[in-house]
Amino acid sequence: MVAPRYADWAALRAAESARILAACSACGACFEACPMIAYVPDAQGAAASDTVRGVLSLLQGGQGDAAARGWVAACTRSAVCIPACPEAVDPMLMLRLAKFNAQESGVIPPRDARDAMARVKAFARLGFTEAEQKDWL
Amino acid sequence: MTDALFWYGCNMTRHAEIIRLGTRMLQAVGVGAQPVGGPAACCGSPKESTPRIAEGMANRTMQRFNQSGAAQVITWCPTCHMNLDDFMGATQGKQADSAHLAQVLWDRRQELAPLLTQQVGARVVIDLHMGNGTGVNQAVPGLLRLIPGLEVMDHPYRAPSYMCFGLASIPGALEDARANMLAAMEQTGADTLVTIFHSCHRELVGLERHAGIRVLNWVHLLAESLGWPYQDEYKAWRNSTDPEAAIGAERIAAAGEDAVRRLVLPELRRP
Repeated sequence: MVAPRYADWAALRAAESARILAACSACGACFEACPMIAYVPDAQGAAASDTVRGVLSLLQGGQGDAAARGWVAACTRSAVCIPACPEAVDPMLMLRLAKFNAQESGVIPPRDARDAMARVKAFARLGFTEAEQKDWL
Repeated sequence: MTDALFWYGCNMTRHAEIIRLGTRMLQAVGVGAQPVGGPAACCGSPKESTPRIAEGMANRTMQRFNQSGAAQVITWCPTCHMNLDDFMGATQGKQADSAHLAQVLWDRRQELAPLLTQQVGARVVIDLHMGNGTGVNQAVPGLLRLIPGLEVMDHPYRAPSYMCFGLASIPGALEDARANMLAAMEQTGADTLVTIFHSCHRELVGLERHAGIRVLNWVHLLAESLGWPYQDEYKAWRNSTDPEAAIGAERIAAAGEDAVRRLVLPELRRP
């Protein structure tokens, strides 16, 4: 049994963003540990500290810079940034919350998930028996 | 009474046989679990770029779980697994314990091991990923080592992300992961690539067509050792030269021809 700690996602996002902004020193250790940087063209040659500051900008509703936007978009939650962080920020959550803001504001394009659930249902109709569709969905 | 819910997630509808086998394995080790998933039990992640919609989906699912009376939620999808503990549990509370299917089976290996009576001759490399808080990186190798005749080949490579889904949309990332997995197999003399999660299975089964290897999910291998038959229809369709014919007109009509043509066949025909 786990008790709720926040009233809703907005409260969670606000509280965790404030905690992260207070804790992060922009040392860049998370950027340097990330296995996805090799796949972010705009982050090649970027300074780690500057890119983290760009993520913090996105976290506050700003535009960030190209390296930060590319990094946030390419985060696949490998989680190697978490033990790399000397301030216990949870950089993986930092990037996720920054991505929420950036996609909501249109700073980075949202994932096109219009067909996601229709596709899930189509595969279920193909693979599940009628009884399984009734009992499992 | 149902002891547990087997929360298979949403995109697992492609792999009905894994849901059936997983449920049967739980039963065999003494856990009665009701499968639940699909759009009505979604963690919200497919809609995460619109957090307000994702939150609504996640809340509905968590309320359903909390009202079910189940003592445990057994997960399959690592995204669901993580969301259960962070955004969902943090905002709705969590009434039930939770653990991944592989962890539950590993915890009950004393009951499972005597049932694994069939030899499975295979030298396997497992598609392990970084970033797994699900426990699978320990549980799946442990489970496979219970299978008589099967050799788990150790290698240090861990693919980025926590499953292949995240890599598929990043240019070059999935291709690199596939190449690194094949290199690990060559270096260790493995003949079989074992997927852990559904999205990995979806992205890797196509290697059977060209790489001269087998691609199986860890649940499939346990089933073979249990002597339980199964059909991996998704792999058969995906690797067919004509997926439409492989599915068959009758099933396509029953599932809705327009939806299958628009949503299913393009995925199955990917190179």
